[in-house]
Amino acid sequence: MTESGFTVDVDQNQYLPEGGREVSAIVTVTSAADAAGLAGPGPAGPVSASEGPDGSAEIIIIDCSGSMEYPHTKIAEARAATAAAVDVVRDGVLFSVIAGTNLAWPVFPADGSMARADASSRAAARQAVAGLRAGGGTAIGQWLELARQTFARYPAKLRHAILLTDGKNQHESPEQLAAAVRQCEGLFSCDCRGVGTDWEVKELRTISAALLGSVDIVPDPSGLAADFAAMMQSAMGKQVADVALRVWTPQHATVKFVKQVAPAVEDLTGRRVLSGPQSGDYPTGAWGPGESRDYHVGVEVTPAGVGQEMLAARVSLVAQSPSGADVLGQGLVRAIWTDDEALSTKINPRVAHYTGQAELAAAIQDGLEARKQGDEETATGKLGRAVALAHQSGNEDTAKLLAKVVDVVDVEAGTVRLKKQVEDADEMALDTRSTKTVRARK
Amino acid sequence: MTGGNGVCPSCGAPVRAGDSFCESCGTELAPPMVSSAPPGYQAECPVCSVDPEAPPAVITAEGYCGSCGRKVPTGRDHSELDLGLLAGMTDRGVRHTRNEDAMALATADAPGGPVAIAVVCDGVSTSPQPDDASLAAAQASVRVLLTSARRGDDPAEASLAAVRAAHQALTGMGSPDGAPSATYISAVIGSDAVTVCWLGDSRAYWLSAGPGATRLTTDDSLAEELVARGVLSEAEAMASPQAHVITRWLGADLSEPGPHVTRFEPPGPGVVLVCSDGLWNYRPEAAGLAALALPAALTDPLGAAAELVKFALDAGGIDNITVVLAPFPLAPFPAEPPHPKTVPVRRVAPLPRRTPQ
Repeated sequence: MTESGFTVDVDQNQYLPEGGREVSAIVTVTSAADAAGLAGPGPAGPVSASEGPDGSAEIIIIDCSGSMEYPHTKIAEARAATAAAVDVVRDGVLFSVIAGTNLAWPVFPADGSMARADASSRAAARQAVAGLRAGGGTAIGQWLELARQTFARYPAKLRHAILLTDGKNQHESPEQLAAAVRQCEGLFSCDCRGVGTDWEVKELRTISAALLGSVDIVPDPSGLAADFAAMMQSAMGKQVADVALRVWTPQHATVKFVKQVAPAVEDLTGRRVLSGPQSGDYPTGAWGPGESRDYHVGVEVTPAGVGQEMLAARVSLVAQSPSGADVLGQGLVRAIWTDDEALSTKINPRVAHYTGQAELAAAIQDGLEARKQGDEETATGKLGRAVALAHQSGNEDTAKLLAKVVDVVDVEAGTVRLKKQVEDADEMALDTRSTKTVRARK
Repeated sequence: MTGGNGVCPSCGAPVRAGDSFCESCGTELAPPMVSSAPPGYQAECPVCSVDPEAPPAVITAEGYCGSCGRKVPTGRDHSELDLGLLAGMTDRGVRHTRNEDAMALATADAPGGPVAIAVVCDGVSTSPQPDDASLAAAQASVRVLLTSARRGDDPAEASLAAVRAAHQALTGMGSPDGAPSATYISAVIGSDAVTVCWLGDSRAYWLSAGPGATRLTTDDSLAEELVARGVLSEAEAMASPQAHVITRWLGADLSEPGPHVTRFEPPGPGVVLVCSDGLWNYRPEAAGLAALALPAALTDPLGAAAELVKFALDAGGIDNITVVLAPFPLAPFPAEPPHPKTVPVRRVAPLPRRTPQ
């Protein structure tokens, strides 16, 4: 483990055939298992939650639209779940609760400020939440905007929100929502949960992807409390904020893609922010101790002669701090040109595995979309391909979810029949969890 | 003692022939020379430094050009060492990205007359840091051989002690990722005999005119074992994919290296050749090598080494090439050994420019 508490490992086939230009590597970033090792690079480094009481800030955003009354258990379980999450907020952390309909308003503290967590503020929050009633529409952009304004008033380094909804974003335009999300990008991260089956997977996935959080379905409201407590627990574990992957490439080279591929597929390619004449930064959000994530980096280089070696990319992990960017670790992606076909044609097993996992996610999403559009032929083909990929890669969770949507005829060949009756919750669970990958170890 | 008097290259004080150290400042007068980058060597990008349009490039800590990303030469790509009594040349070759061969040469004005010492190590490409391993092994062993020669120790025993020192140097480099490894060969050439010690498939030859030319070593390789057992002919073995699988080597993963030692008394004048497989791949028979090296090697060992390296490069240069030549009988010990020459940068054509879309 390096001094910074992070390690960066690169796994690739560095050999290219004569004239080859595509370099592909799996970059594994791992944080130190013990919290002490992850304090960041010294006093000038990123503020960690353990360093000061104002390290972390949490906002819980609860849908209070009219539909939350149907069934009545939804709003009741949402209240209980919010209370459960509040109970987990660590002493000293700033927190607040926001309610959302076609408007958004502060529930606790009622004046729109943030409270410092202690026994009495947590009790007061629980009491305020117990009074929540459902009624009105859904304008998620409004909710995010209020959260953004609330966060912006405090200097916390680790800002995180939990957003719960049960419906579609009906009372503002998609453009209004997209604009609100853009405003929040980089300011806070957001885990999104949809309760029931009347919400839109794509809508929440867009929000969670932009705000570097997770998205999932909680089909039965009774599951909310445990899920909320777990999300808050995980948020409380984060210690280093604003971590980015910095990818340096040689002149005349192009970054083709940067994707997180484990624990879930997130395409970061479009999130590039220039950080130098030959480098760009891709956000990874906040990190807790003992976390490990894999990234797939693809670079196109100008070929050199056989026998030559080139640094195709340097992938560094950087944290923003008052003194600039601190490098927490780095790995090198190399290219060596060879006329030995045994070397250049060797496929790196982890690159192959994650290429398959990304294809799996895309096949599921495309297949479900085609099914929705009534294009059964495309849906059958795509979901069949997904079944075969899930089987080959040992992604059992996804295979189980797929089996609720299709009847598998031949798992190897990917021959399937669409089920006539599919529970909405099963289809949405498959959609939201399509990006979850199985880890490929070295 | 042989040779004339000279001056210390460091302080200019007069020194006596045969002194190992300057009596005035303590500088070692005839230190061993290794094929590492020379002191003060400044790496530069072989592409950007000759491209007038390229921006000034910074070389990264890992040895890459900060502009075009090209791996820059380490100073070991090509080295030439000329110690008068013997000379050597090592070259990256054509296909490899770095030179994982290392050589170390030394001369001593020993009680029994001049002694020439050569060590050649070829890093095992499938082990981590093979280039560091070969250099560390060569450096550690040549020091032991030189000290022993100055004392007049038995060359066979000194050779075994030198292997142990090289082995110890590699043991310190081992990590959970693996054991840096290298082949090893040393030759100690005295006034009446050559003592050769080896592990792996780097070789020593006795080259002389006529039928006397002979190989002094037997490879520790699968190919050689198959030939020895009559399973394959030498030609078949060379063509087999296992020809270069070595069965003994120097590395941290071995508790006992188990080297071979042999002593050869030259019947007359000739040349001792010590080389890595980058040379003998293309001309394994002693007579063939003698035809290439002689008679130039008798009087101009460095020039002849250059010819042999060029021969291997022209033949394909598939591996790193190291050639050391020592004419026998040894020339008188020189008062001031010449300094090593290192030619670190091989310039290559600039990368084709891509027009912006």
